[in-house]
Amino acid sequence: MSSIENFIDQPIWDDVEPIPQDDGPDPLAPIAYSHDYSRAMDLFRAITRKKELSERALKLTETIIELNPAHYTVWNYRQQILTAIDYDLNEELNFVDSCAEQNPKNYQVWHHRQIVVDKLNDSSRELPFINGILDDDSKNYHAWSYRQWIIKRFNLWKGELTFVSSLLEKDVRNNSAWNQRYFYIFNNPEEVTEGIINSEIEYAIEKIRLTPHNISPWNYIKGVIEKSGKSIEILENICKELQNADIRSPHLLGSLVDIYENRARAGSNKDKQEAIKICTLLADEHDIIRKKYWEYRKHAIAAY
Amino acid sequence: MATHPSPAEFAREKHVSYLKTCLEILPHEYESSDTNRMTFAYFCLSGLELLDVLDSTLTPERRRVWIDWIYAQQILPNLDKPAENEQLCGFRGSPFSGSKFDVNGVRDAQLPVDAANLAMTYTALCCLLLLKDDLSRVNRPAIINALQYLQNEDGSFSQTYQSMESDIRFVYCACAISYILNDFSGFNVAKVLDYIKKSQTYDYGIAQSPDQESHGGSTYCAISALRILNRIDEGLLSKDKTIFWCLSRQISGFQGRPNKPPDTCYSFWIGGALKLLGAFDLIDFDSNRTFLLTTQSRHGGFSKWPPELNRFAEWIKYPSDLLHTYMGIAALSLMREPGLVDLDPAINISKRTIDRLINESVFWRE
Repeated sequence: MSSIENFIDQPIWDDVEPIPQDDGPDPLAPIAYSHDYSRAMDLFRAITRKKELSERALKLTETIIELNPAHYTVWNYRQQILTAIDYDLNEELNFVDSCAEQNPKNYQVWHHRQIVVDKLNDSSRELPFINGILDDDSKNYHAWSYRQWIIKRFNLWKGELTFVSSLLEKDVRNNSAWNQRYFYIFNNPEEVTEGIINSEIEYAIEKIRLTPHNISPWNYIKGVIEKSGKSIEILENICKELQNADIRSPHLLGSLVDIYENRARAGSNKDKQEAIKICTLLADEHDIIRKKYWEYRKHAIAAY
Repeated sequence: MATHPSPAEFAREKHVSYLKTCLEILPHEYESSDTNRMTFAYFCLSGLELLDVLDSTLTPERRRVWIDWIYAQQILPNLDKPAENEQLCGFRGSPFSGSKFDVNGVRDAQLPVDAANLAMTYTALCCLLLLKDDLSRVNRPAIINALQYLQNEDGSFSQTYQSMESDIRFVYCACAISYILNDFSGFNVAKVLDYIKKSQTYDYGIAQSPDQESHGGSTYCAISALRILNRIDEGLLSKDKTIFWCLSRQISGFQGRPNKPPDTCYSFWIGGALKLLGAFDLIDFDSNRTFLLTTQSRHGGFSKWPPELNRFAEWIKYPSDLLHTYMGIAALSLMREPGLVDLDPAINISKRTIDRLINESVFWRE
């Protein structure tokens, strides 16, 4: 007998009249519920009708969440119970820890954690917890979203750049980590100086040299250049350097198209021809899946 | 090495029977989608419509009882004290709260157990249209009025009243609902534009909320919302760069984020976004189609990923599911796969259903 079955069939529920779901005569897309889920929900319907906020109701929500962690109404009711019975929120975090480990991509678990930690007003467990989740999946969207909230809410900027750098050391293609780097640089309370911008540009160039076919540092460097009001022309050196080393990454060639197109727009025929030539290379050899795009770019540039 | 197990052809009949089966009874694993049941009904109905068999599948009697079932999920203003639950109006995803089944809807809704959900209101309206209802029993003023309570200060929307789950997905739902009901007076459009602008990232994709990573699903939601509002040029910081971001996600099929593997659903999310941006013809049709066909399951339906070789050189297939089945079919419809009905990429139902909305529903006829 499972522990769930055990709990929902115990005599402590004898005073509760279960309320079955009324799905009408011919329901649309009915779900083949398990016995346990139906029974637990029948009890849930009954106790919410009575507005019972008790220990056993808390345990019941735990049972349902185990079967259906996306049941936002059950989570919401659980939050009411926690407040009503003044439940130990550190104990609650233990529960959320195990829920999140089993369902790391579930919205409700993360929102619940946010509510609990906000109330607890203590972030000490949070970064180690998030790091554990990111260890398993370093691109978990919910984990990154929560991480941004926790950093802002508790002013945990210190150490974040080191953390992000360590993730990029492990996997330089982790776009989530690059995004977090951008978030850190432009949102932390420190002033964004020219020195910081230059060092970020250097950092990205170093990673581009390491993996010229990796789109993430290319996007990052362009983002930093644009945000800081610099010109994309500053990428010409690294592009030429890689080109001379016989590297033909679509991101490198695409960046050259952008640079030459700017100059073509300003009237340079030489750059116009160069841009057209690279578009052809991209369309025919180096980025064939986007052939139609590069041909479209080529025609647009030719029309200047 | 074992031969690749995926059929090279679109297994139309298998998808039809998969969707018909799910419509009658959703397998046990959908228990965890109990609160979103309406969405899964929508995947079945809209999928069968795109496969051009919905009409022939349903008798008028079946349509009638299912229309009634959907109206039984409508949360209506309390008759005596409408102000008490006006924030909760709209549709819920299923009758899990325990109220009595009533084809006239729910009049005594209370938080937290009974509240409408924006995604469920959107998919309920789509289901009604797919079942050829004229929306005459939809309480438009109540739904439009509730939107103001669901929009947050930053412009985003919460899925239910007072929920923390608020992001660009529900911005899209609010726009699609307002379009279907032909009434945009329920929310602040300027704030929506601001929120969408702030959710654009340094690579010009769009994130689920500001500062997060750009993502195919949220990019679709934002662009579709802008298209419905007729504000694409105003809402995008650079339409060209967003188009390039979308095109850059194609690696055979489409990935949802840079450096992630391709996944069936992004052929729709990103394909739909590109269609709305007028740049869909720039994708590589053949690679996309080939990828999608490899994600078909032997038993009907699509899975998230194509089969993978394990270390014993055996092909491991991923199971199909309703979301990826619907998105796979919708993605193929965008490419005009023979035998599929044309899709309206903004509302995500067939174009002929949109025609019926405009010509026959009570809110457009007036």
